[in-house]
Amino acid sequence: MGMLSRMSTVVKSKMNRILDNAEDPSETLDYAYEKQLEMLRKVKKGVVEMVTTKRQIEIQSNKVQSNIKRLEVQASQALQIGREDLARLALQRMETSKSELEGLSNQIMNLEREQEKLTQAEKRVQAKVQAFRNKKEIIKAQYNAAQAQVRIGSALSGISEEMGDVSLAIEKAENKTESLRARAGAIDELAEAGVLNDFSGSQDSLSIELEQLSAQQNIETQLAALKSKISSEEKK
Amino acid sequence: MIVRILTEGQYNLPGQFVDKLNEVDNKIVAVVELDDEESFERLLQEMLELVRKHGSPVPIDELLESDIVLPEPDLTIKEAKELFTGEGLLPG
Repeated sequence: MGMLSRMSTVVKSKMNRILDNAEDPSETLDYAYEKQLEMLRKVKKGVVEMVTTKRQIEIQSNKVQSNIKRLEVQASQALQIGREDLARLALQRMETSKSELEGLSNQIMNLEREQEKLTQAEKRVQAKVQAFRNKKEIIKAQYNAAQAQVRIGSALSGISEEMGDVSLAIEKAENKTESLRARAGAIDELAEAGVLNDFSGSQDSLSIELEQLSAQQNIETQLAALKSKISSEEKK
Repeated sequence: MIVRILTEGQYNLPGQFVDKLNEVDNKIVAVVELDDEESFERLLQEMLELVRKHGSPVPIDELLESDIVLPEPDLTIKEAKELFTGEGLLPG
């Protein structure tokens, strides 16, 4: 058996239970409709979760970005006072942060793609559910007609397949979001534990030394500015 | 004939392409057995592209049952394998 026939089985198995509950056709239609609305809510929730996770990773990525900038400045400050050892360390950290940043950017891109897919799925479900609702009311109105049974069957199997498809899409999206969120969470934990102090701003000896350097440098700059201000005022 | 690409939507594909689809399908089964990831991805895209190129999208508000269901574009060879060994077939 090839993939084609397998896929049909998978999708159908997802939603067939709706049809199994059929006794009173009009009840089945309403029940199926309820299920569809539920599915629509799920898709919407999925999109929101994805946006939240993306936001979380973006925040991390911004932190890493500003960290890279800070390290760069610190490296050149260290060089200016002849501390090549410190400059080297700062640059090493910068490289680590850069590759971390690349990883985060990939994750964001990944999430954006998933988000786009899920948003498309949402649009599709919205349209299908609307179509089903219209059809359902028409079928119910002509419930006694001989054709009704056939129509219920075809409308239900069409929508069931759609819902099976969407539930698969949601599952996949959820799995991806979860693993990304787990990764983001793990990075946060590492940062809190001080392993990745670059994220949390908590300080190790190198950071402290570099910070002191920056502070020292700032003080020198300000001092120089003050001196020149005073001297120019004296000249007046 | 109505063909669904999972997570993407349905297409109306002229019947003459079914043989070609089956042909690619058989190749996919073979490469999954060989664990040939590169060929798997290429063949999967080839299969989906065939439908996208020759089929016309079914209007979004139509409710039709598909004659053929194709996997989602980002199906991995691992997932395909699970599909063939039956693990992926459990309902729910």
